[in-house]
Amino acid sequence: MKNTGLELRNLTVHYGHKRVVNDVSLALAPGQTLGLAGESGSGKSTVAMSVLRLLPKSARVDGEILLDGDDVRAMSWGRLRAVRWASASIVFQGAMHSLNPVRRVGDQIAEPMRLHNTPGSVTELLSQVELPEDKARAYPHELSGGQRQRVMIAMALACGPRLVIADEPTTALDVVVQAQVLGLVKRLVAEQDLGLLMISHDLSVLAETCDDLAVMHRGELVERGGTREVIANPRHPHTAALAAAFPVIGDPNHRLAGPGESTRGAFVLQERTEGPRVPSAAEPLLQVRDLRVDYGRTRAVDGVDLTIGHGEIVALVGQSGSGKTTLARTIMGLRNPSSGRVIFDGREVPRKGRALKAFRRQVQLVLQDPASALNPRHKVIDAVAEGLRVHGLPGDEESLVTAAVERAELRPASEYLQSLPHELSGGQQQRVVIAGALVLQPRLLVADEPVASLDASVRGEIVALLLRLRRELGLASLIITHDLGLAWQIADRVAVMHQGKIVEQGSVEQVLLDPTHDYTRALVRAVPQV
Amino acid sequence: MRLAGRLGGAALSLVMVAVLGFFLFRVVPGDPVVSMTRGRPTTAAMQAELRAQFGLDRPLHEQFFSYVSSLLHGDLGTSFTFRRPVAEVIGERLGPTVLLVGTATLIAVGLGLWLGVRAAWRRDSAFDRATTGVSLTLWAVPTFWLGMLLMMVTGDLFPSRGMRDTDTAPDFVSQALDVAHHLVLPSITLVAVVCAEYVLIMRSSLLEEMHAPYLVTARAKGLRDDLVRRRHAVPNAVLPAITLVFLRFGLVVAGAITTETVFSWPGLGLLFYDALTGPDYFLLQGLLLVTAGAVVVMNLLADLLHGVLDPRVKAV
Repeated sequence: MKNTGLELRNLTVHYGHKRVVNDVSLALAPGQTLGLAGESGSGKSTVAMSVLRLLPKSARVDGEILLDGDDVRAMSWGRLRAVRWASASIVFQGAMHSLNPVRRVGDQIAEPMRLHNTPGSVTELLSQVELPEDKARAYPHELSGGQRQRVMIAMALACGPRLVIADEPTTALDVVVQAQVLGLVKRLVAEQDLGLLMISHDLSVLAETCDDLAVMHRGELVERGGTREVIANPRHPHTAALAAAFPVIGDPNHRLAGPGESTRGAFVLQERTEGPRVPSAAEPLLQVRDLRVDYGRTRAVDGVDLTIGHGEIVALVGQSGSGKTTLARTIMGLRNPSSGRVIFDGREVPRKGRALKAFRRQVQLVLQDPASALNPRHKVIDAVAEGLRVHGLPGDEESLVTAAVERAELRPASEYLQSLPHELSGGQQQRVVIAGALVLQPRLLVADEPVASLDASVRGEIVALLLRLRRELGLASLIITHDLGLAWQIADRVAVMHQGKIVEQGSVEQVLLDPTHDYTRALVRAVPQV
Repeated sequence: MRLAGRLGGAALSLVMVAVLGFFLFRVVPGDPVVSMTRGRPTTAAMQAELRAQFGLDRPLHEQFFSYVSSLLHGDLGTSFTFRRPVAEVIGERLGPTVLLVGTATLIAVGLGLWLGVRAAWRRDSAFDRATTGVSLTLWAVPTFWLGMLLMMVTGDLFPSRGMRDTDTAPDFVSQALDVAHHLVLPSITLVAVVCAEYVLIMRSSLLEEMHAPYLVTARAKGLRDDLVRRRHAVPNAVLPAITLVFLRFGLVVAGAITTETVFSWPGLGLLFYDALTGPDYFLLQGLLLVTAGAVVVMNLLADLLHGVLDPRVKAV
């Protein structure tokens, strides 16, 4: 069998009458690495799945898919099964669900080897992905996210394919683990001279691993070229938008908030804040002093000091498990601290009763995934009005809700009030969640990964909205994120959390450009650079 | 640790059943002494004597304590109707019931799960529609009607009453064949009626797994369709069905009242029915304890098995 790599000729995919991939032609020579970028719904995953003919039956595929010169579309089932995994394999996204939960990972890695009669050992594959051999006996739920992804990679290499397709392999991982997994992929591709087709919405991830870059938009291939070249000089506006959405830390153009920014004239996104700076002599809005929170014997938050000024945006960054969510919950009065104090507007946060309820109105939460934060059966008006009802606030409900929805830039509000969440886009859903917080006229917004589940273009809009709310309402925010780029874009100050402690705290420029703590340095280093 | 907790919970359930059973059946309308002496001329003195003999003349709390203390000694009391120890009466009916309902349940589970898997895998195919349609129809049909229909259709092919003929040779093989012959009609009836439950639960549980990403992984590896189903889909989809199946195994000893009545099968279901007409307090209490005990034990087994089959459940 000749090894000529992958070639797509005029690939078009329909679901019913909906065309999701439109006339895509791509070639990937053996040993070449190609990144395929695009937002959700751009058709990039459909292209990936079509290579091994894994699309659901309802998909109609036209054009040619040549894998080593053979058209995958025309293969018999037997031939197709022989080609699957042996010629090309896939590293799926979300390894938690892509591995069978009731079978040991060693068996799952060995399965394609037995099937295709490939020699080799699971132990050796595990060592290639830097996992100890006893992990072969583990079940998927016993492994961490990074380990599961390593298992997926080991499995993909089991039959020695010449081409590996990686579909958002690091999306669910946090920065440090993502950097490790990307480093691993890069090393294996180079060592084994593999062809790599990597799919991601994140250009910086692709820039890290791929020589060439192709960009898809609404089912069409809009750009193709060398990775550096495409990112430095995007020809298509969509590529530019994708690149802009992932801020470059250290680039003042991508800095949308904070003092001293007005020296530059060119903005990527048209949102700038001068901010009604509240007199600094005033007492800060929130002070956390020597806070400790325990879960049983585990100390989740360990002696944290943190202040947030009036109208200030503070980013709390750290890996998953660092205690940042627990800290936020304690600040909001959803959890009682083991010791220490939380002082809001000069007064200690009440621990119970009516006073606690009144306090909670002033601090509102925005969650990561708007689709799960909204009740699918509640209309927008009910979702937003819920807080008003809970707190029994006076005033005309509909006009208050309308005002909040318009503040969240869903205009005109009347068009949205009667909608159900599934009728809205992801960005609109997140605006509804924000409106639900705004309707209570809070003083502090706690946002837990507010843009992590949103597409690149929507992400910029939500960031702009948060900044506008600060400018117009003087609304302070605590942004919880593992995304240092977001911190760079939006925050005035950054606090870095590691193993329950705040290891570094200061202005964005100071912390991200000149980190002093080792952990902060590791975090900054782990961010993939375009 | 977890095992100890489970065992404790099971024991507690049994104690509650024992207490509940005592009071529950005393609410059943009817006077056991009147039923016992029905059709015979009796005087008030004779009735009083009977009452005293069974302790029914004593205050309720005294009756309760004597029930509890004999229970602790393993004594289930004496049946009014049979004038024999309850344990003995139940013991001799247990075999036939386990034979009939046990056989039928095993067949129904096997057939139902298999049909359910096939139906879900080819969803909306003719096979799927036929399977779900037929099993739902049989589920809806009254048991006694189905039983009588079967008797009529098969004519003299299979015996339709009792468990064995009196004139069968006494050797083991002839006896076994005779019982098996008698078993055919009642077990077919029972299987037909209960099978739908297993078909539907297996079908819906597999349908939920059909779009699981790990099945795409399995296909991408080059597995044949039936291997994807057998190795990956079914082991996950069968988990929710396990609990139901074991709960049903627990109900085996409760018998099948309608089927046993239609075919005069000498099992516990029929006994339950007879005891209620008394009401035969001690027999009812004993039956309740035995059936509830079986359910509790099977439930416990289901929990433990779930822990073995699903590694995500923390192992015992």
